Amino acid sequence: MTAVTGDVGLQDGKRPSLRGWWAEHQRLQRFLVHGGVLLSIAWVLLMIVFALFAPFIAPHDPNAQNLADTNAGISAGHWVGTDDLGRDVLSRLIYGAQSSMQVAFETVGLAMVLALLIGLVAGFRGGWIDYLLMRGADAGLAFPPLVLALAVVAVLGTSVNDTSFALAAVFAPGFARFVRGQTLAVREESFVEASTSIGTPPARIVIVRILPNVMTGLVVGIAIALGSAVLAESGLAFLGLGPPPPASGWGSMLQEAYDTSLFTHPWSLVPAGLTIALTVLAFNTIGDSLRDTISGAATKSRRQRGVKRQRGITAVARPAQPTPPVVLSQATGQPALLEVRDLSVEFQTDAGRVRVVDNVSFDVCEGKIVGLVGESGSGKTVSSLAVLRLLPSPPAQIVGGSIKFNGRDLFDMEFDELRRIRGRDIAMVFQDPLASLDPSFTVGYQLMEAIRLHEKVTRAAAKDRAAQLLEGVHIPDPAQRLSAYPHQLSGGMRQRVMIAMALSCHPRLLIADEPTTALDVTVQAQIVELLRELREKEDLAVLFVTHDLALISELSDEIVVMYAGQVVEHSPTADLFGRPLHPYTAALLAASPGIRTEADSHALIAGQVPQAGQFPSGCRFHPRCTYAEEACRTAPVELTLAAPDRQSRCRRVEELTLTGVGSEVAIRLGADPVGAS
Amino acid sequence: MGRLVLRRLLSIIPVLLFVSFAIFLLLALVPGDPAVTLAGGLTATPAEIARVRAQLHLNDPLLVQYWHWLTAALHGGLGTSLSTGQSVGSQIAARFPVTFGLVVAAAIVSLIVGIPLGILSGVRPGGSLDSGARSFSSLGLAVPSFWLGILLVSILAVHWRIFPSTGYTAITASFTGWLKDVTLPAVTLGVGVGATLARQLRASLIDALDTPYVRTAWAKGGTRRSVLLRHALKNASMPVVTIFGLQIGYLLGGAVIVEQIFSFPGLGTYMLSGITDHDLPVVQGVAVIFVLFQMAMSLLVDMSYSYLNPKVRVA
Repeated sequence: MTAVTGDVGLQDGKRPSLRGWWAEHQRLQRFLVHGGVLLSIAWVLLMIVFALFAPFIAPHDPNAQNLADTNAGISAGHWVGTDDLGRDVLSRLIYGAQSSMQVAFETVGLAMVLALLIGLVAGFRGGWIDYLLMRGADAGLAFPPLVLALAVVAVLGTSVNDTSFALAAVFAPGFARFVRGQTLAVREESFVEASTSIGTPPARIVIVRILPNVMTGLVVGIAIALGSAVLAESGLAFLGLGPPPPASGWGSMLQEAYDTSLFTHPWSLVPAGLTIALTVLAFNTIGDSLRDTISGAATKSRRQRGVKRQRGITAVARPAQPTPPVVLSQATGQPALLEVRDLSVEFQTDAGRVRVVDNVSFDVCEGKIVGLVGESGSGKTVSSLAVLRLLPSPPAQIVGGSIKFNGRDLFDMEFDELRRIRGRDIAMVFQDPLASLDPSFTVGYQLMEAIRLHEKVTRAAAKDRAAQLLEGVHIPDPAQRLSAYPHQLSGGMRQRVMIAMALSCHPRLLIADEPTTALDVTVQAQIVELLRELREKEDLAVLFVTHDLALISELSDEIVVMYAGQVVEHSPTADLFGRPLHPYTAALLAASPGIRTEADSHALIAGQVPQAGQFPSGCRFHPRCTYAEEACRTAPVELTLAAPDRQSRCRRVEELTLTGVGSEVAIRLGADPVGAS
Repeated sequence: MGRLVLRRLLSIIPVLLFVSFAIFLLLALVPGDPAVTLAGGLTATPAEIARVRAQLHLNDPLLVQYWHWLTAALHGGLGTSLSTGQSVGSQIAARFPVTFGLVVAAAIVSLIVGIPLGILSGVRPGGSLDSGARSFSSLGLAVPSFWLGILLVSILAVHWRIFPSTGYTAITASFTGWLKDVTLPAVTLGVGVGATLARQLRASLIDALDTPYVRTAWAKGGTRRSVLLRHALKNASMPVVTIFGLQIGYLLGGAVIVEQIFSFPGLGTYMLSGITDHDLPVVQGVAVIFVLFQMAMSLLVDMSYSYLNPKVRVA
């Protein structure tokens, strides 16, 4: 978090050109471009100018009465008309800015000084000083804000400065708490500890280190507080507790209009009220966009333009006729349960549209387990979420291909049609069971809901079935666990609940997205064992997404390897392990801790998966590939049939003989991957 | 649950001590001799001043005076009004239902305004409904309640004559009469808080809709209605409840202004009369009640929080 004030403030010396300077300060741009901020700043500046130079700007004496010309409408002499005593309303508004602005800035300045003093001392000293100061702040916060101001005004009086004191007393406690909290947080950071240990005096640490950090957060609060102070000042004046006449505060103008002209000249209620509202609105707008700028929310909202917003279903915008490519299962001749063809997914980002999944095709046949393997960033999770169209739009959009389940294209479906397939025919298990279960509902409720969304059964029947489901995933005391909340269960239990929920309507396909990654090793083995058991019992097809080759080697019939958004190899499991057909697969095998390859190197793959949008030209794997030659760097490589049931995206697939795990398949299974080396 | 309430009640005690001392100090801080002020200012005779002095123990050390004041207050004795000579405690008891009814009605208005608005804009952020709802919220926060109140009176009461402009009917006398009288004040008071709630609900709905558990709810075949209104809304409502608790103070403080506009015989108008008459026992008494009122309401809100958040309930 760097200070926003740094962007707005002075620049250090050189300023090559205004345009260059402007381009460099994206954050300032974002702040200013934000809706209405420029207008708001202009309005606030106008009010400040009014306050400072009222005698020079106001066309009339604000207190000059003209009983012959009372409650006049808009005219050349009186732009906003006159009030019940014939005084010029515009001039009174201009003079009214004096007390409003003075009170607002005095109040906030005073509250800041108090809050910084109290908050820094409390946060830095701790102990009983902290306790006393904070109970004092609590006491201040225990008052309804206006009541506290009224009590102080009752004692002090109603002049401009009294009002500022009263309102500062209202604002200071909340700010002091904030400053203390920030100070505590900053104090824990290593640089402050380091300064203390080398003997820097505390006061210096406070000023040099803590103050700038605290101020960043306070900037937003200051803007909002200025608006609130204007509101409160005019409120007090409206109650007759403002600066005494002939001062023309906005609040007292409104009160006079209310008392004298409510029934006769209702329009006289508008000018002062509108001026207050606009001023408060301006301060709030500035505060809000400062907050958005600091938190980056402004970028987010801009990023989401350009993709049709849909709730609960990924938007599809694909060309009319996808061409069917050569696909594996056509060779084996088995009808596929799930046919993924040429799937392409794009995300809307700051840098424009980025293709995250590029022409991915594979099948999952009835009762088979297919592994979808790759490092993080390879696009495997996005592909698996695209099946049930669970990627949020925006930013995601399916831009090509089709996914057919039982011959029906899921991308042609409306929400309601797809919803009936979700959870009933195709179910999902996610990576992090704690985050994926709703923390606010019991396990039983979530299980019963899964059943009752698809079948008309009574609550009691659903409850019985929920208990049976828990029993089916070997959770002890199932009837009792139904009333437990997710946070009361262990990690392994939670994932069992997720699996039970997925199986609640006897789906034909289960998509498991890294279902064991968040769990520790022994629990991983139990969950894999459970999945294998259930697959036998339920005759499930499974799409198993994972980065763990050792794990998938035990389970799957065939494996799809993804890299940088593309499929790079697709082979039956045993073939892939025996002789990989892509250097990336070979490297993955060599790098897997649970697998002993013939090379037995356990080398990490050099480099990282490139980010979407920054994929290299040619073969996307070439920068990390030990076998890359000149042609790999330039020409893109197609996925080709390398054997009757195998595909590879490598130009040199014919000439290379890559190292697999050998004929004896020396695979250390998921139960003991750590001892493998 | 019981332990939570107990813990909250215990944590209130030191705060109350601070608050009561601060309120007690109101008298001591008044410039000049409080006894002179209390005995009627410059016109007071020395005998009157001496009587007030003795009555308020003003010759004792400050802490002893505080002790006298506190023990009397704990027994319900909030002193007597200087201007009317009536017991402040009984006046407050008579006026409390007025303010309580107004604040509860305003709280209901704020929920009626804030929740649908927050849902509408949170479910489709960036849509046209969202822009409308957000503009409305910004206005609701910026328009001063006293101006809104005046405009409502001017349009709905004076011009169209749908509602009475000012005045108060006790709920015990006539419920419909009370409802008519309290509607405009409650709207005046509740709209701003409703705008705050709408903003918070929008933000937390957007966050909740981006969570893995909402993805799970979609994945298991949830209807839009069940996912949005059950899973997302229940989780998103927790921060809204927190904000609502913080807004209660604004409702109570705003009640002072709204009671003044609509001539309600509540605590707010009583406090204002106390201030204009320099009747400090009245100001003290009402301030104490307002603080207790706010604390009780916050406690209620905290308890509803534990209903929404199972983790709090178990702890």
